[in-house]
Amino acid sequence: MITVEHLVKEFHVFERRGWLRRRTRLVRAVDGISFTITPGELVGYLGPNGAGKSTTIKMLTGILVPSAGVVQVNGRVPWRERVAHVGRIGAVFGQRNTLWPDLPVADSFDLLRHIYHIPPDRYRANLQEFRDLLGLDDFMGFPVRTLSLGQRMRANLAAAWLHDPDIVFLDEPTIGLDVVAKEHIRAFLQRVKLERGTTVILTTHDLADVERLCERVMMIDHGQLLFDGKLAELVERFGGERELVVDFAESYADVAVDGATVTQREGLRATYRFARAKITASELISRVSARYRLRDLSVREPEIEATIRRIYEQKLL
Amino acid sequence: MISHYLKLVSGVLRSQLAYRTAFIVDVITVGMSNALEFVAFALAFAGFGHIGGWSLWQVAFSWGLSEAAFGTMDMIFSGFDPARFAQHIKRGTFDQFLLRPVGLVTQIFASDFALRRLGRVAQGLAIFALANAGAGVIWTPAKLAYLPLVFVGAVAFYGALFVFGATLCFWSTEGLEIVNLFTYGGTTMASYPMHIYTDVVRRLFTFVVPTALMIYYPALFFFDLPDPTGLPKIAQYLAPLVGFGVLTLALVSWRVGVYKYQGTGS
Repeated sequence: MITVEHLVKEFHVFERRGWLRRRTRLVRAVDGISFTITPGELVGYLGPNGAGKSTTIKMLTGILVPSAGVVQVNGRVPWRERVAHVGRIGAVFGQRNTLWPDLPVADSFDLLRHIYHIPPDRYRANLQEFRDLLGLDDFMGFPVRTLSLGQRMRANLAAAWLHDPDIVFLDEPTIGLDVVAKEHIRAFLQRVKLERGTTVILTTHDLADVERLCERVMMIDHGQLLFDGKLAELVERFGGERELVVDFAESYADVAVDGATVTQREGLRATYRFARAKITASELISRVSARYRLRDLSVREPEIEATIRRIYEQKLL
Repeated sequence: MISHYLKLVSGVLRSQLAYRTAFIVDVITVGMSNALEFVAFALAFAGFGHIGGWSLWQVAFSWGLSEAAFGTMDMIFSGFDPARFAQHIKRGTFDQFLLRPVGLVTQIFASDFALRRLGRVAQGLAIFALANAGAGVIWTPAKLAYLPLVFVGAVAFYGALFVFGATLCFWSTEGLEIVNLFTYGGTTMASYPMHIYTDVVRRLFTFVVPTALMIYYPALFFFDLPDPTGLPKIAQYLAPLVGFGVLTLALVSWRVGVYKYQGTGS
């Protein structure tokens, strides 16, 4: 159970003015966020770069101490009871390694068994399951430093769940991975969620991650919580619009079509925006190609970052 | 805590020893380069014969003791070596320590154990043993009991300098040369009889950064020499106390650094 009330984090940022002078500016990375997460939820924590996601996660894991507000994780204040708190959570940071770089994966796991006091039977059972689920056998004996990004991510994920944590924080776990690797990781997370009911907080830029895994999403920008609710609702309200980019075979004065708005025109290219709920892509394509001759087309999904920027800039929330 | 340390350190050691040839070459090189430093000094010394009334053997005695202690410290405290620790702060990998259910100080100690520094320890011990023969120290039970305490005190003291250096990293990861001044400079300085320095320098290294209390004053006790600096006799027996006292101070300051890190991020 995670409770956050009016959480604030301010940083003094140094600005250089000229050669010698420096000025401090107070930046509110997290500006009064409140939410509750109940056990077993898999929550997507979304927002553009610099929104305050990592800062929030750092406060929940106990790395940072807030400027104001309350954080309670399973009845503990993270930074006050660091060792006890950290022993019950797992964390994986995309692009950063949580294991010992020069040691073989197996040795790292053994170290973890020791420091997290994992009972031997739980350790064996978990290890076996993760080896199967994540295909670790291929590289168990190699130093973590020598692994590819995908392999390292798989090892880090196994490591995060090895001690049966109550909560796992995932900060961009699929970043930089190829499509197949991403799928494997999503499959792993789904499986683990089903079987173990671990509470998971997932930070990601990848909408596909969110669509696949999260029922609930929280959206943050400029340190403020803009949305907290079902993903379906968010997509419906803001992500429901997609784009169809069309290259016409000839020049047309007017390319209007029912059910979509023309947002851009440049030479032979036009961009239509249409709402997911009102019309499907294939239907729109039919309508357009019925009226005009096409040479090429593509359908663009809304990027979550663009959606969020739009939400914030247009004050849609 | 100890078991966690041992377990973590064994991992570090295993990865160092994985490259066995490189390791052995390392140890020998370190030992030789430090020994050569002393040889260079001895050659220069030969021209003078005595320095502040001390013979070459007596200086070598201090040198060997200081080197062996510093090398030992360098092995054990290498996780706190500011040069290494700064990397953790710079790269953000310090966060990983905060995420593990083990005490922070234990983890930093266990994050490295530079076995290759054995070269420096060996060389220090060798020179100390040789010097002992020539310095003509009259060993009493009291002196024999005090020697290991002086050694351990020096290890603690030099360790404290590393820890202070690591603490500075929480505020700035640049400009740490000043720490080197006290660590590497300090151990060289500790080898020479303190009374050859001017008053100001001597007082600085007796009362502010008490390097003198760690090797020089105990040496006066070992050599049964009168104190030319006029301090009370008790100054010669304070080494272990001062060493661990300064180390405690350093570790407290390090905790303040951690507190600052958690308040302001990296």
